[in-house]
Amino acid sequence: MNLITRVLLLLAAAIYTIIAGGPLVWIADMSLRSTQEILANPYGLPSAPQWHNYAAAWSDASYGVYFKNSTIVVACSVTLVTLIGAMAAHGLARYQFRWKNAVFMLLFSSILFPPQLTIIALFQMLVEYGLINSLVGLICVYVAIHLPLTVYLLEGFFSQIPQDLYDAAKMDGYSNYEIFWRITLPIGIPAVATTVILNLIDMWNEFLYAVVIITDDEKRTLPLGIMKFLGDYQTDYALLATGLMISVIPVIVLYALFSERVVRGMTAGAIK
Amino acid sequence: MAELTIEHLSKRYPNSSDFAVDDVSLSVPDGEFMVLLGPSGCGKSSVLRMVAGLEPISSGTIAVDGRIVNDVPAKNRDIAMVFQSYALYPHMTVYRNMAFGLLRRGISSAETKRRVDLAAESLGLTPYLNRRPNALSGGQRQRVALGRAIVREPKIFLFDEPLSNLDAALRVTTRNQLTRQQRDMGITTVYVTHDQVEAMTMGHRVCIMNGGKVIQVGVPLEVYRKPADIFVAKFLGSPPMNVLETEISSEGGRTTVRLGNVNIPLPARGPASLAVSQKRVWLGVRPEDIHGPVPADMAEHVVSVEAKVLSVEPLGAETLLFLALAGTGQEVTARIGREARASVGEAITVSVDLRALHLFDIGTGRAISNGWSSEAGIGGAAG
Repeated sequence: MNLITRVLLLLAAAIYTIIAGGPLVWIADMSLRSTQEILANPYGLPSAPQWHNYAAAWSDASYGVYFKNSTIVVACSVTLVTLIGAMAAHGLARYQFRWKNAVFMLLFSSILFPPQLTIIALFQMLVEYGLINSLVGLICVYVAIHLPLTVYLLEGFFSQIPQDLYDAAKMDGYSNYEIFWRITLPIGIPAVATTVILNLIDMWNEFLYAVVIITDDEKRTLPLGIMKFLGDYQTDYALLATGLMISVIPVIVLYALFSERVVRGMTAGAIK
Repeated sequence: MAELTIEHLSKRYPNSSDFAVDDVSLSVPDGEFMVLLGPSGCGKSSVLRMVAGLEPISSGTIAVDGRIVNDVPAKNRDIAMVFQSYALYPHMTVYRNMAFGLLRRGISSAETKRRVDLAAESLGLTPYLNRRPNALSGGQRQRVALGRAIVREPKIFLFDEPLSNLDAALRVTTRNQLTRQQRDMGITTVYVTHDQVEAMTMGHRVCIMNGGKVIQVGVPLEVYRKPADIFVAKFLGSPPMNVLETEISSEGGRTTVRLGNVNIPLPARGPASLAVSQKRVWLGVRPEDIHGPVPADMAEHVVSVEAKVLSVEPLGAETLLFLALAGTGQEVTARIGREARASVGEAITVSVDLRALHLFDIGTGRAISNGWSSEAGIGGAAG
């Protein structure tokens, strides 16, 4: 690679980093300043870092509660989506059965619809089942919404696991159920990790379904909690920025830890 | 130890009108090494998979020691299989790969360790027990697959082209190792291959299949020397048997078969004499039965044929001559001694061993005779 190409590439990477990372740095900066400071000079650096913003947001502004709610909802949803999705993907990838293609098409057609389309029907159903304004209701919705893509991604990976491995496990005396746990799942770890991370980030940041389903303040998840500080007449920018940081930090940490695995899962080819 | 009996076994896959396996019957006695040989798609792997319990049977029966196992799941058949791809579990170490089947069968960890260590020792895998399959060479992976089958101490071994992914040199050594292992253990074995060298060298008997049917079963050399039909004749041997369409004619009270510019009288007795009722036949002769200069002790068994040399392939240990027979122009391959000298375009005389001439029915391809003996009266008048 010659010098000019190198410089151009670095320049492009630098511009992209500024566009992508700039707002994050700005929010981080704002989270350490007071609202008055921010209003006076939006882009200034903190004169004295206001670390107490975090303590205030966590306890006084209930971000601790929202964080707990988000953790419960996301942990339960991701676990369920991963388990159900992996089993469904294993079934679709491994077995031939009647109406298999129909099931496939039905499942994936739901990916095509915009989420807004289902909101009213979903709301009505949750009301009827007494699940409206409950974390369980939100978990059910998240699982249902994220299943098709999870199955799609995992099925693609599982179907590349050679049939001989399953046959060998059968000859070794294992049942279909045991084969799923002992062969498919361990071999499919890169793909499973990818879906876990993607679902986790998506659910952690999810707003639309949460705002429709949850109404009580103590049941809000983080994206809803942040909205509390966006008033019609007054906005507490410092607490808003602090809330955003609390919301975003876990995602960044998780992605930093698992990004390599995610990329490997997405690009994984045939298993040799 | 077990006897495997297959009776009228058939397999038709969904959405297919043809039988992949068509009325196959085969008996493999206790301790025998049976090779299923045939071209790709001949149904040999399907037979193996049905014996293993991995493929449902359309009709017929499979019995182990007289007990029909058609509906017994694979895991309960006590049969071990080595796959072409080795099918090693990539997330497990070599030790765990070999022990995986034993763990499921409730065998104690001490006994599992004893068996795995013993198998690893005999296969030279002891240093690799803690490695994952991706850190092994092809030959080592193949041995792990074999070890996994051995530790099970099954009633029957099944091999599905286990050597086809190895390079030529490794294939020879692994072939010997596998044969020795089977002989030492004495376990009934069914081995699928499309490689005739493996079939000829490894099996006690060979079962040749084509188009889902069993064509011939026999001891390797017997199958080579006495092919049941034209398919077997052409399939075994490299280069394959020369098979020429030729005519039967009668002149002066003698019935002859034509080879190049020579009319060879049919013998008076023996199977070859049956060809007199035909008008045309397939005449087969293996390349090694076409000689250059006639050895003195063979003079009475050979017939000389003129031919033109089309090309010469000196292979070191032997020389292959590609010839066009005088008279008919039919092309044949001859495998002659390394000392033989011939140049392209040269007209030469070769001698064909009559004892090794094969005649096949022009319609069915079935063998009429596989060589005719001197006792049958070469050159005798046909009836």
